[in-house]
Amino acid sequence: MASGNGRPGADLLSVEGLRVTGHDGAALVDDVTFSIRPGETVALVGESGSGKSLTAKAIAGLLPRNLTASGSIRWRETEVVGARERVLRTLRGPQVSMLLQDPFTLLNPLTPVWRTLAETLPGRGAELRLLISERISDVGIEPARARDRYPWELSGGMRQRIGLAAALSQSPALLLADEPTTALDATTQRDVLRLIHRLQRGHGMAMLLITHDLRIATSMSDRVVVMAKGGIVESGDVDDLRSGGRQEYTRRLWAAQLPVDRRLADLRVEARLDGAGAAPVPDAATGGAGAGTTPILVVRELSKSFAARGHGEGVQALDRVGLELARGRSLGVIGESGSGKTTLARCILGLEQPTSGTVELTPGIARRQVQCVFQDPYSSLNPSHSIGFALAEAVRHRAGAPLSRREVAAEIAATLHSVGLDASFARRRPETLSGGQRQRVAIARALLLRPEILVCDEPVAALDLTVQSQVLQVLRDAQAGGLSMVFITHDMSVARQLTDEVIVLHKGRIVETGPTASVLDDPQHEYTARLLASVPSGDREWIAGPPLQRTGAMTDG
Amino acid sequence: MSTGLQTRPARQSSALVVLALAFACLVAGLCVVSFVGLGLDPQTQRLLEARQPPTPGHWLGTDLVGRDVLARVVHGASVTVIGPAAVALGAVAIAVPLALVAAERGGVVDAVVMRTSDTLLALPSILVIIVIAGLFGGGYWLAAAVLVFLIVPSGLRIARSVALGQKNLPYQEAARLIGASTPRRMFVHTLPNLLPTIVATLLLDFVAALVALSSLSFLGLGAPPGSTDWGTMLAENLRLIEQNPWACLAPAVMLVLTAYSATTIGDWLHLRLEGRRG
Repeated sequence: MASGNGRPGADLLSVEGLRVTGHDGAALVDDVTFSIRPGETVALVGESGSGKSLTAKAIAGLLPRNLTASGSIRWRETEVVGARERVLRTLRGPQVSMLLQDPFTLLNPLTPVWRTLAETLPGRGAELRLLISERISDVGIEPARARDRYPWELSGGMRQRIGLAAALSQSPALLLADEPTTALDATTQRDVLRLIHRLQRGHGMAMLLITHDLRIATSMSDRVVVMAKGGIVESGDVDDLRSGGRQEYTRRLWAAQLPVDRRLADLRVEARLDGAGAAPVPDAATGGAGAGTTPILVVRELSKSFAARGHGEGVQALDRVGLELARGRSLGVIGESGSGKTTLARCILGLEQPTSGTVELTPGIARRQVQCVFQDPYSSLNPSHSIGFALAEAVRHRAGAPLSRREVAAEIAATLHSVGLDASFARRRPETLSGGQRQRVAIARALLLRPEILVCDEPVAALDLTVQSQVLQVLRDAQAGGLSMVFITHDMSVARQLTDEVIVLHKGRIVETGPTASVLDDPQHEYTARLLASVPSGDREWIAGPPLQRTGAMTDG
Repeated sequence: MSTGLQTRPARQSSALVVLALAFACLVAGLCVVSFVGLGLDPQTQRLLEARQPPTPGHWLGTDLVGRDVLARVVHGASVTVIGPAAVALGAVAIAVPLALVAAERGGVVDAVVMRTSDTLLALPSILVIIVIAGLFGGGYWLAAAVLVFLIVPSGLRIARSVALGQKNLPYQEAARLIGASTPRRMFVHTLPNLLPTIVATLLLDFVAALVALSSLSFLGLGAPPGSTDWGTMLAENLRLIEQNPWACLAPAVMLVLTAYSATTIGDWLHLRLEGRRG
């Protein structure tokens, strides 16, 4: 084992020329080199497909069987690449520990919290019970509230905390945190990140933080490694990155961040890099001809409750919610998971029957003229049919009268073009399209119905940032064409770019409503203020300091 | 973050699949031969040459009354395979539309369909057929017709659960918002996504029907005596096991290999068709 760099023992972990190949020999990760010193935080930043998660899995020796790692990953003096499982087991736990993204599948649903923790702790009986309680309160949860519960009785934030408690139980020297808060609500995200930060300082532990969010990376870490398409784009000190980064790719990533404090003229990354798109514009810039105050959609006193399954109380998803959408305007609905925002969308679309209250469309507008773009691009299109089939179906249903093939094809081509896709996409099948492309097809399908109102339910939440801005620009262009929109999002920055007015939903109730600019610049309700404070700023202060709350809410998520 | 890598279920060894496909082709070929004839003579009795082990003239020897076993095995292919194939097709043709309707309607319709299928599933099929044969005089095609209904539930359950999984996906709701009618959603949007399940069910039903019908023939309740059905042959030639073991081994081996190939091909097709979807 040659330690050629002449400073053995200085690095806790050093990765050199790491390469991960699939069974067909294609490199998924190529020539990745970086190192972590004791106590240091290194962030691995990249979009989906950048290879950041595979790099972490390779370090933990947890690559799927059909992938092979080569190069060198040295843990102090031990080589991890090609090591036997027996050697790896001595590293995992006391040396390296891992915190994964999805809090919902992280814990075994059949195992109560105490047993999950007991697996990694020494001792027995009263001594063990004490240790378990100590670990639970370390992660900011009252031990009695979690110890005997099963994972499915806990909210996402609490599960992720328990996952953290399990990961830290043997005081590892390095924590691999793979998108630890991506699946959590914004307010919970900040709490959990602050907790990780505090515990990390307390234990003197090093961390490799994998994230797609540059702002989280810069506020949490000492050094940042930016990855794209399996390779390293640049790596360096966090201050370098904060000032924009040296590489074109990093600058694009920065440019893709949407600001929450102003509305941009053009959302596309290219336009923003030019500077022209980055210019702020007045907030009420949407709405083409005919935009005004005539309401096109009125929701009155809308309530929806879901009956409980088995024993337990039912859920009041919406509680006397009212709103008005004016023609040609865009109304944002902001809320976290469990706020009832999706239920509201489904009631407006007629996919769900409200328990009480009404949804009224202006006379003359057919149900079919209220269309929707769903959150999940992967199940929005039928995998059995081509894009052209899906779009032609929309055209034919709108037209009523039979159209010739040529007319249908021409209309499809024109609409695909308007969402920024080539006409040849009509011949392709959904599985050959990326998430962003699928979402554009879904928008095209909705537009082909010539809708009066488009309901967008978190249309970009599942997409990478650079792709998000392209899709959002498509939606903005549609707004400019006079389309009225109900835009549902948890992301305040997205709401700022796409909406004229917002309502803020919290546990099924409207807590604040008003013009987007005034609500986001000067929130009146405490909950809105907390949502705004949870938008990552990229500064260290965002993460330092005490947690906002002692425990995550029990019912959320 | 998802890495875009899906670990596929372990692929079956491709050699096995190739063998299974080859055997299926062989059986299909035998069916053709038994229709065309090609100078086969499965029925002529040569009492003087009865109970012979394999000879150059009779590669698999002769049976109790001197009929050529090889010719009978070849001729038996179509007799044995066509019944189960028809049963499987019939069962799937009933199960799939029922599953689509049950999943789409839910509520009472779903309950009636599913409880009926549970009841059918609880019945021991061979016993039911024996009783019905006793009441109505029996016969191969009556048994097959009854078997169709007894085999429907297994495929119905699987198809319904897959259809239920599709029901609330956004693409279905998008179709509703476009204004697509319920039958259109069921048959144009849901049905194609059931294809892998349908293919797998078809082959599994075939195997179940093959086993059930040959068992009945073996018991003398299916194909008539003297028929070249492999189940009947197995029963009749069991008495010859010491003089000419091939006479009963050959149809038995053909039955086992046919069932095994169909199962293997069903699995393989299912994986292939599923894998094509994103």
